[in-house]
Amino acid sequence: MVSATPRGFRDVLPEEGTWREQAVRRVQQCFSTWGYDPVETPTLEALDSLAAGGIATTPFRFFDDDGNQLALRPDVTLPIARMVATRMQHVPSPLRLRYTTPVFREEESLRGQAREFTQLGVESIGMAGPAADAEVVEMLVEGLYATGLQEFVVCIATVGVLLELVDAACDDGAWRQAALDAYHTSNWVALKQLAMAPQVPPAFGRALSALPFISGGPEAVEECREMVTPLGCQDGLDQLDATMGILGATGLLRFVRVDFSIMNSLDYYTGLVMQAYAPGAARPLGSGGRYDTTLASFGRPEPAAGFAFGLETVLGALISQGEVPEETYVQADCVVGGDEPSQVFKAAMQLRARGLRTQIIDDPDADLAACARARGVRGAWRADVSGMPQPVAMPLQREEPVVSAATRPRGGEVR
Amino acid sequence: MSREPMTSPRPLRIAVPKGALYPDSYAMLSAAGLDMTPLDDQGRHLIFSTDRGSMPAEYIIVRPTDAPVFVANGGADVAISGEDSIVEADCDVVELVDLGFGACRFVVAEAESSAGAADAAYRRRGALRVATKYPNVTRAYYDRIGVQADIIKLYGNIELAPLSGMADRIVDITATGTTLRENHLRVVDEVFSSTARFIANPSAARIDVRVRNLAAALEAAVSAASAAGKE
Repeated sequence: MVSATPRGFRDVLPEEGTWREQAVRRVQQCFSTWGYDPVETPTLEALDSLAAGGIATTPFRFFDDDGNQLALRPDVTLPIARMVATRMQHVPSPLRLRYTTPVFREEESLRGQAREFTQLGVESIGMAGPAADAEVVEMLVEGLYATGLQEFVVCIATVGVLLELVDAACDDGAWRQAALDAYHTSNWVALKQLAMAPQVPPAFGRALSALPFISGGPEAVEECREMVTPLGCQDGLDQLDATMGILGATGLLRFVRVDFSIMNSLDYYTGLVMQAYAPGAARPLGSGGRYDTTLASFGRPEPAAGFAFGLETVLGALISQGEVPEETYVQADCVVGGDEPSQVFKAAMQLRARGLRTQIIDDPDADLAACARARGVRGAWRADVSGMPQPVAMPLQREEPVVSAATRPRGGEVR
Repeated sequence: MSREPMTSPRPLRIAVPKGALYPDSYAMLSAAGLDMTPLDDQGRHLIFSTDRGSMPAEYIIVRPTDAPVFVANGGADVAISGEDSIVEADCDVVELVDLGFGACRFVVAEAESSAGAADAAYRRRGALRVATKYPNVTRAYYDRIGVQADIIKLYGNIELAPLSGMADRIVDITATGTTLRENHLRVVDEVFSSTARFIANPSAARIDVRVRNLAAALEAAVSAASAAGKE
């Protein structure tokens, strides 16, 4: 019988596993240098606590024997909100937290999408203002860069302008919902049709139609400001401008664009929104923003911001950009054998202490050089009677620098 | 330090729908400055490329219903697609320009001879039987009006479903209503009307400046066409 994994779930084999692990380590290291501490939340959450944060429906729900309704986490932000409002309620803000964790999302059949993927992200809690916003934007840039990706754009905007425009343009609730839905689905044709509705003042209609097409560097904030200030809908633009100012000083504007088309998930975000894209990735790499009202629903009314990106999406973008690590995968750096397992183990301990990835050959008669060659491993050692590793002559095949794949540097500093 | 959107080194890939939307799509893309001549002699090819015109481009010819799927999954950067296909495919694309052509309506229809039979069946069964090529659109419509519908997905000749008694009603698209009339079907409600749209992959729409340029050129071509139409 052939068993496959369930649709949208998959195994990770050693070669990819090595690559993933290296990328994850570099990102974690990057987030750590910002003073963010690792946290973990359970794979399962009580459905009630997800509902409290606004996730009404989520797939993969089931009952345990106590009759409690549980769900596989579709997201990490809400579990962290729950965590900081409960077990960390007495830990004073600001909190800087990071995570690496699988999440589960339903995807319809026949769409070729994964249902489990690994999110790398951060949550910044108890901080507000342009500096707090700039911090998460810059961390998203540096986090993506740490994976080895060099071509990507983090689009940022602020939701206030749109919400105020929609509110001011028309007091019909159905129209407002339709306008936000059009925005949410990036349907600019529908948005334009709604903006031309007779009950909408033309100046507001024109601004609403034009808003998703405003993008660029810091000047895009000004372009937006000129358009919406006469209408009194400039909420959030000062802060966005100040955030761009800080990012400009750090030299990261190469990776950051203002783009007012990315405002979605509006029931959740309250200010900054961001969305990362890369050539070669059909879907966003990651997203985030400021959600100043979410923690209040868990009983800790504090501002917060954060983001997450998908490891698989980012590695997929690296592949389509031709940035796959060049080294072919090798199982280890060397093999070690010998007459007695006790001697071999002592020798292996010494080799590992030298930083060599060492595989033990449990066969006193083995041709250790041949074993090494068969595994694509560069070194072979034989344990002597005192358990000291002695090099085995390897017939020279080709000159290669002996650098462990695990220690080989990849990616690098952003600046 | 560049703040312009990055441009991928490969030519912009454009999905062009075959069938009824093809001639107008060809004309509109030409009017926007693209060199469409590689499509004139298609033979057995599937991908056509050009270095001429306003930008290098690659064209793929797709079934109209597949155009949004190619775009959402990155098989094409942009496409021309009917709003009907976009709604039915229900995937993540950016709708940039209403191209104006390819107008059609999603309608609910039943056999002329059995007026009232569908309502009677609904009272009796508590559910309407509805045949369609567009199950998502149909589902959304009946959810909206609060009617329980058992949807039967068909791939063609939808008109046969009510005529053969398999379904009470159909949800289908029609441009002029001729096919419906010829088959003695009567429109009982309109779901929505549709035109052809210029759509883009969400990533390409945001980071590839060529997408915005092409959208602007198409917008201008649409305006020119409608101005010419008014003269």
